[in-house]
Amino acid sequence: MNHLRLFLHEWVTVFNLVVLSYFFLGNGIYTILMLLSLRATWVHMRQMAYQGLDTLRHSPLTRPVTVIVPAWNEQEVIVNSVRSAMQADYPDLRVIVVDDGSTDMTLDRLVQSFGLMEMDGAYHPGIPTAPVRTHYINPTIPNLLVVSKVRGGKPDALNAGINLCRSPYFCNLDADCLLERDALLRLMDPIVNSTVETVVSGGIVRILNGCETKSGHVARVGLPRTWLERFQVVEYLRSFLFGRTGWHLLGGTLIVSGAFAVFHRTTVIEAGGFCRDTVTEDMDLIVQLHQWAAEHNRKIRISFTSDPVCWTECPSTLAVLAQQRRRWQLGLCQTLWKHSEVLFRKKYGIVGWLSFPFHAYVEGLGAAVEFLGYLLIPLGIFLGMVPPGLLLVFILLGFIYGGFLSVGAVLLEELTYRRYPRFRDLLTLLVFAMLENIGYRQLVLYYRFQGVLKFLAGSRRWEKVAHVGATA
Amino acid sequence: MFNIADPVMQWALLILAAVMIGTCLLITVAFFRRWQQTRYVRYVHTLRRQYRPVLAKLLSGQRSPSGAEALRELPLADLELLFDPLFSKRKLPERCRGFLLALCAEMGLIELWQCRIAKGLSAASKSSGNGAPEDLSDRAVMRHLLRAKSIRNLGTLHHRPSWPLLVKALDDRHPDIQLVALRSLAALGAPESLPALRDRLQAVVQGKTPSPPLQALQVAIASFDLTCGPGLLLSLRHPDRQIRLCATEILRTMVCREAARQPRLALTPELLSPQMVELLLTGLSVDTSAEVRARAAEVMVFLADPRVTPVLRDLLLDHQWFVRLRTVRALAHLRKAAAPLYLDIRECLRDPHWRVREAAIQTLISLGQKGKRQLYEHFLTSPDRTTREQIVEVIERMGMMSAMVEEYSEGTKGVDALMVEELAGEAAPLGLSGILRTLSPEMRQKFLNRFLPSAQSMTRSLEEKAQPDV
Repeated sequence: MNHLRLFLHEWVTVFNLVVLSYFFLGNGIYTILMLLSLRATWVHMRQMAYQGLDTLRHSPLTRPVTVIVPAWNEQEVIVNSVRSAMQADYPDLRVIVVDDGSTDMTLDRLVQSFGLMEMDGAYHPGIPTAPVRTHYINPTIPNLLVVSKVRGGKPDALNAGINLCRSPYFCNLDADCLLERDALLRLMDPIVNSTVETVVSGGIVRILNGCETKSGHVARVGLPRTWLERFQVVEYLRSFLFGRTGWHLLGGTLIVSGAFAVFHRTTVIEAGGFCRDTVTEDMDLIVQLHQWAAEHNRKIRISFTSDPVCWTECPSTLAVLAQQRRRWQLGLCQTLWKHSEVLFRKKYGIVGWLSFPFHAYVEGLGAAVEFLGYLLIPLGIFLGMVPPGLLLVFILLGFIYGGFLSVGAVLLEELTYRRYPRFRDLLTLLVFAMLENIGYRQLVLYYRFQGVLKFLAGSRRWEKVAHVGATA
Repeated sequence: MFNIADPVMQWALLILAAVMIGTCLLITVAFFRRWQQTRYVRYVHTLRRQYRPVLAKLLSGQRSPSGAEALRELPLADLELLFDPLFSKRKLPERCRGFLLALCAEMGLIELWQCRIAKGLSAASKSSGNGAPEDLSDRAVMRHLLRAKSIRNLGTLHHRPSWPLLVKALDDRHPDIQLVALRSLAALGAPESLPALRDRLQAVVQGKTPSPPLQALQVAIASFDLTCGPGLLLSLRHPDRQIRLCATEILRTMVCREAARQPRLALTPELLSPQMVELLLTGLSVDTSAEVRARAAEVMVFLADPRVTPVLRDLLLDHQWFVRLRTVRALAHLRKAAAPLYLDIRECLRDPHWRVREAAIQTLISLGQKGKRQLYEHFLTSPDRTTREQIVEVIERMGMMSAMVEEYSEGTKGVDALMVEELAGEAAPLGLSGILRTLSPEMRQKFLNRFLPSAQSMTRSLEEKAQPDV
């Protein structure tokens, strides 16, 4: 019995150290990212006064962009999404919708809404994809092309879109997203005004639930009604406003939202296009680009700016949230495992030494560490290894530190873009930022832990997130 | 339960207290910021609402001595706030700009902006010099925001005398200032500033200086008037291939923009200078860089010189596919230049690269009836299935099928009618059935009345051909 106790004692001690390192490393780096972002976003907001979007809008040298919308069973949202993409304020724009073998009315709705006709189109598969079946066009809408293909998954649909794309840059846009009118111009601005070759430019994704939409655009910004969606608003603010901004400032961007980003087409093709072996093709591509650049000795830049906005629908039920978070965690683990050679390699610089290890330890492994912590720390108390008072303080610290970071994100929003105009909205956001770590965080953690288990079980299944049609 | 004497506990409580204070501080700042912002927005809104009628009157050209007087009484900071929405527009109407410029000069705003820029420049030269923008203090950041706005305002108002100051601002250590100065110089379009920009372009291409970004430089120079084009001669003749390429691209942009303004643009030696015309015909068209040749072709189609036809013919046969592509595409702009080259463009329908073939189809279509005839003849006589499919695809994509069917139904003859019969008979593209479905019943009947007898005769002749020889 004593041997077992001793064994458990040693084991729990080691685990407690892991939990502590996870806590301080994660929160410490997030605090640094927050402080960096506070200043940078504030300055960027002011720079917008002389940003010169008009010059970009009117210059004949502005590079054409193709918006690629991959769609699979998106009948509720597809028309509005395509409409918003087509109304984007950009001088040379084309929209390609790739229907990835939908079994619902997605294609029919597109055909009816845009008066499309079948046509014979050539398809040159530079990147191998599942076969493309039919092209649909309307000669009066020359900048819209819809193609229907055999189902091959989102990465495959994106690759088909890249094969059909003729412009030097393309923007991927999820079918449940609405673009703000000037979002593309704002995304292209860092590409044009950069002294280093910028191959990816990402923007912020905001939550559409609770907003009023009118013919493919957000007419009034508001907070969603349910607690689940409100927590996600805070979470998105934290993730985009200081998470991604901070990593961009450090030069360690590993994730650019797959819902909305501009890519340099040739570079993506050279790097192999979107891969099908992970369920988060966006992150996979970014890491792949880092690897490609390091192998080819190319200096590239992956940019993130917080002013180009794309609105997306977030899960409004626990079941859908669970699917989404399991997939994200599974994809994260798959990508980190696939590109594990990046870890602590000199040629990858800040990505190899800071960003990748952080994502691996805090974001990837962290889900398991934190989840098991909730189970093993009571064991520590039971074994008399952890004083209950200290544990209580530690838990309190965890909650308050989490709240501190979330409040920081809300403050960042308040200092800069202030998209939620009413005072009540600010108050609600602050309350939800404080409450996020009590209940919601643990819930999401549970789904993330399931994602880790799925990864360990070798799952590759894409869990489709059903959209109820907030964009409609 | 709480052992305060334990140093670990003390540390934990200390961190907890610090984080709690930090959180409270952030919440306070958020509320304070909301309050401050609400007040500021209200102030700006009131100011703008109060002076909107006065401004509208003055900007529309009406005389309003009392309005002008009211504006003069405002402090400069408020005037800047009031005018800010106007300055952020890239293009102000000419009359409005003239008035604003006069008003700003009278109020001392121009002087204030120039002073801010000059001060910034002298501060930059006094400081260590090559520091990165990240090294700047917050006050310096604020100053650069003000300077950037000042530069932007001078550009929006087209204050030409400020060009030397703006050229100096290109050397500012903050990249934002360089960029805004570049845009303002482009807005001014002062020919005197072009050499400075050209030199900067060469320096950036050669890697002597990393900023401003090359693309932004190209955009700025390309926005100068085409009459400034000869200013690029030095770069066009430069031994560095990249510099020649950038300069040719800029020239091409200038010409294309001018062509969009004047559909009958002809580039004469008077407009471009004789040296430039000569360089295009004898230098850039045979440049060692294919990229340069490709871009030069797009300029040359607008040249009013008899020597241009053989040069373009050679470019249509260039060994690099993208030179052929750009040349054939450029010919779509100008029927006059393309007229002697119809057969050469038709020859491009046999090009090994599909994009050249596609461009040739589009060019022939855009050249009008003569071009279409060449295309239809090729379609009817060519055994090449791939090109035929490509022709059908472009016809469908350009929405020509519907007009072709309607004309055929109305009784058009010749190669046009043969083309429709061939399309409806053998090629049977997917788009045709869609068009037939959307045609009015009378038109559809007319089409069928005409098409079916010819289809039957085609079937009969096919059957006869298929009979075994006796």
